[in-house]
Amino acid sequence: MADLEFLEFESAYRKPGNTLFALLLGDDPFDFWVGRYYVGFFGVVSLVTIALGVTILFVAVGQYGDWDLLRAVVPSPDRSVGLGWAPFLHGGAWQSVVILATASFVAWGLREVDICRKLEMGFHIPAMFSLAISAWVILQIVRPLLMGCWCEGFDLGFTGHLTWVSNTGFKYMNFYDNPFHAYAVLGFFLTAMLLAMHGSAILGTYNTHRDPTVEMRREDSFWRDYVGYSIGEYGIHRLGFYLAVYTLVMSDLCILTSGTLVQDWVDFWHPF
Amino acid sequence: MARILSRPIEPVEEPEPSSYDNADPLGIRIGTPTRIDRLRHLGVDTQVGTIWLGTWGLLSAFLFAAGASVVVLSALDQVGGSPWLMVKYFANLNLVPPDGLGLAHSLRNGGYWQITLVFWAGSTVAWAARCFERLARHRWRPFLLFAWLSAILLTACIWVFHPLIVGSWSDAPALGLNSDLQWAQNFSVLWGNLYFNPWHQLAIFFLLGSTMLWGMHGATILATGSESSHHEDAEIKNMSSGSQKAALFWRWTMGFNAFPKSIHDYLWWFAVGTVLASAIGILTTGVITRDWYVWGVDHGTVAQYGPITREAINEYPRPMPPLSAPGGYVPAPAR
Repeated sequence: MADLEFLEFESAYRKPGNTLFALLLGDDPFDFWVGRYYVGFFGVVSLVTIALGVTILFVAVGQYGDWDLLRAVVPSPDRSVGLGWAPFLHGGAWQSVVILATASFVAWGLREVDICRKLEMGFHIPAMFSLAISAWVILQIVRPLLMGCWCEGFDLGFTGHLTWVSNTGFKYMNFYDNPFHAYAVLGFFLTAMLLAMHGSAILGTYNTHRDPTVEMRREDSFWRDYVGYSIGEYGIHRLGFYLAVYTLVMSDLCILTSGTLVQDWVDFWHPF
Repeated sequence: MARILSRPIEPVEEPEPSSYDNADPLGIRIGTPTRIDRLRHLGVDTQVGTIWLGTWGLLSAFLFAAGASVVVLSALDQVGGSPWLMVKYFANLNLVPPDGLGLAHSLRNGGYWQITLVFWAGSTVAWAARCFERLARHRWRPFLLFAWLSAILLTACIWVFHPLIVGSWSDAPALGLNSDLQWAQNFSVLWGNLYFNPWHQLAIFFLLGSTMLWGMHGATILATGSESSHHEDAEIKNMSSGSQKAALFWRWTMGFNAFPKSIHDYLWWFAVGTVLASAIGILTTGVITRDWYVWGVDHGTVAQYGPITREAINEYPRPMPPLSAPGGYVPAPAR
């Protein structure tokens, strides 16, 4: 599709070839762009699964008959279903959507890998995205499997998932006593603080009329004055990246241990 | 990258003189710049030091240390003066706030808490003055000061404004590791479940969004850093191949991309939005409603699952034995 060049480097990289699917099977039938979007085999997989999942959501909500944006919900199966298949309106829709959404997330990540390969850059973004997928998979698939019931997954809906979060917190007595929860919250707060510091450093110093190396040295010398250390313009991104990794891993452990290994986080601290 | 990280030790760049220079008798840089080569393995800058002393920095450090000494004194007081017991039980020791809005009647019933908080409030404000003074010296736009002030605003809402509104210092957190966590739970339950406070929900959106943005921005820069996208001041002026790849990646992936300057707008506002939304959430608690759960039911943000029955309760978290069964609940004999 004809499209104006976005940046001067775009034409150098916007070419077919070098995709994962082509690597495995020799040719990628969807190796093209639609406007600004790259498609690719995994883009098609992602698109199809999203379309199917959204259709199922709409059909189920239409059957329940409540189109209120806050109340509309596709609930997880009943406890009596255990790990089996549920009837469509009693959890089957939820099961289908979870499967399709997971497939869609994974395909989206693989599409990111394809784009990274085309741009000849590192794979940090799909790696980080796969960690985000891990949170979804643990919440909706792994933990329900370990608990022996799909009803442990959260309902798909605005108030549905909010109320699930509240109920799950109280079900294990006091979630603030969950050490992984505390470590994860610490990570969330630290990322917000570092984000403010990094954003302030760049927004506070950039000057398009001057030699940018002056601004870089100005950042270093400010942080050395202010707190005695400047982590550097590469280091700050490394720190932020690994802090986000830490936060996601702790969040995963937080929900994975609740109900499987530990029933009561207050009791957890008084084992004897 | 190795070339960047092994550049020679840099003296602190002297910017143009400002009116703050000569006004501060303690305005000196202390310490010697030292290179710790081991830090190179972490991919971070290896130079440590120097640090600016300054009247405000010294005052801030002094007030922080004064508050910390009161915490240690109180902790020693709680365990009968034994340093070993203080270390052993440190996570469970706490400085409790007094009831009511007046001065505490004794050190143990709120006095330690009030003295510590006065010191630490002074310390954070003095640090804001240091921030302002250093920003002015290095000619930064004051984004960092606004971010720090909004953090101070949140702590002021938690420790000062909310207690003033509801009429008791005891609604503020005690100072202590475990009591911090207990306060978070108790405060939530006391006001009817804070999950259904819409500002709390918005704050969580920004907070989790901050982590997501660090994941996205950090990963983008690390993935293109070999083509110098991490020299962000230079990239704002003139995008290199690294920044162009970063922009193209997101444009091809989701049809939208930020640029080296605009991404930092998003980052800054997500971080500051977190604390501002939290501050509003604390201020409205006890003002808009006494019970956020009831507020949520009234405004349709609590999912309704039908009546709570004995059967429903028995399902979670473990089946409860019938009251009359062996091993079940046996009421104590009447005296």
